Amino acid sequence: MGPLSRLAPKPVKFVLNWGRRYSLWVFNFGLACCAIEFIATSMSRHDFIRLGVIPFAPGPRQADLMVVSGTVSDKMAPAVRRLYEQMPEPKYVISFGACSNCGGPYWDSYCVTKGVDQIIPVDVYVPGCPPRPEALLHGIVRLQDKIAGESLGDRYAPSNGVGGEPVAPPPAPRPLSATVLRRPVQPPPDAGETRPLPPPLADESPAEEPPAEESTAEAPTRETPVVRPTEDVTQPVPPVEDEGTPDRADRNEHDPSIIPGLAEDGHDDEIGRDR
Amino acid sequence: MSPEPAAQALTEAWTARFGDEITTEETFGGRAVGVPPEHWLDALTFARDDLSCGYFDWLTGVDELDEGFAVVVHVYSLERRHHLLIRTRVPKRAPVLPTATGVYRGAEWHERETSEMFGVLFEGHPNLVPLLLPDGFEGHPLRKDFVLAARVAKPWPGAKEPGESGHGAPSRRRVRPPGVPDDWGPHA
Repeated sequence: MGPLSRLAPKPVKFVLNWGRRYSLWVFNFGLACCAIEFIATSMSRHDFIRLGVIPFAPGPRQADLMVVSGTVSDKMAPAVRRLYEQMPEPKYVISFGACSNCGGPYWDSYCVTKGVDQIIPVDVYVPGCPPRPEALLHGIVRLQDKIAGESLGDRYAPSNGVGGEPVAPPPAPRPLSATVLRRPVQPPPDAGETRPLPPPLADESPAEEPPAEESTAEAPTRETPVVRPTEDVTQPVPPVEDEGTPDRADRNEHDPSIIPGLAEDGHDDEIGRDR
Repeated sequence: MSPEPAAQALTEAWTARFGDEITTEETFGGRAVGVPPEHWLDALTFARDDLSCGYFDWLTGVDELDEGFAVVVHVYSLERRHHLLIRTRVPKRAPVLPTATGVYRGAEWHERETSEMFGVLFEGHPNLVPLLLPDGFEGHPLRKDFVLAARVAKPWPGAKEPGESGHGAPSRRRVRPPGVPDDWGPHA
């Protein structure tokens, strides 16, 4: 339906969007206490089924909408990304709660991803800690407004060739500052000593920018609150290793992707298999 | 308040077994027994066999800064219903301790977590790989000298009152977040 809907006349597009917006099979990625609020929204008092949101998707392969509710940790991030990629097109994501929006109260934690939008594209952000069920209802209505106004032909722009399989809009290049920020405690280098600088981080970002699309333009964009530290602020130097920890020597090697499974060099099937 | 007779008997049992090499103390968490690291496995075996503490509850570490790392075990006796905290202390430079998995098999994951969070090396552990941290993580995050580096680059994004932005009054002196060294960050 994706490539052909570009050719559909306008009333047909309206009907297709109308059908899509009131039949959102939702998949709850509940990771923390916000999932309780999601469940409360699905229950009889708030009852988002009256809006057409159906919380009975057997899994991500049958879902149209994913609600990420809770704290996304770096260990969990590959799983979030993988289940998002299993969802069929067109697919939508609601980031529910402060933790999945930007890290929330764990903004300085060593293990929490600073927002789920660093790994998957997000359509609607619902603020709150946790948000009330009414806030999720409002977010759903906003998402339905967005679906009503969108054109699938524009969503899957013909950058891959006309008639190709519809693909998800590529997520924005992940800010690499999280990697830089999680480097260990390091003393500043001596003035006289020449130390090889770390490899330039700019090489790791994808070369091509994602094409500008209508869907991303309409989404409530938010500045990713990440400050890119300059080189003279945080100088990476190997940490002082304690004696007697020989098996931790491999920790010194710099991993470009602090979130496993997101590096281009391997499929995330391999995560944990080598143990 | 004098200790109960049962607790007194526990203390006497420990003293009779280990002499003055151990210290006993009443803490809020119950009776704590401090043992030197060379008697670590002896103490655990003694607690399991002679004091019938067959229930292993947890094992964790405490960063005590210059004094090293404390490793604490909480065990419980289902028959005699007494709790015990057994703790030892390993030096900061070489935090090595024999593994307790030979005494309590359930200590395996606890020791893996303590190892990755504090850098304590458990000798003889069957599979001492990180349990909870993501792959490629550097450092031991529950050590007190582990800087939460996000605090350096980004101030606290919250606000005390609704409607306040993250930027305080310009006259307000910027306070360094706790745990951040003085020579770090853009405002050093």
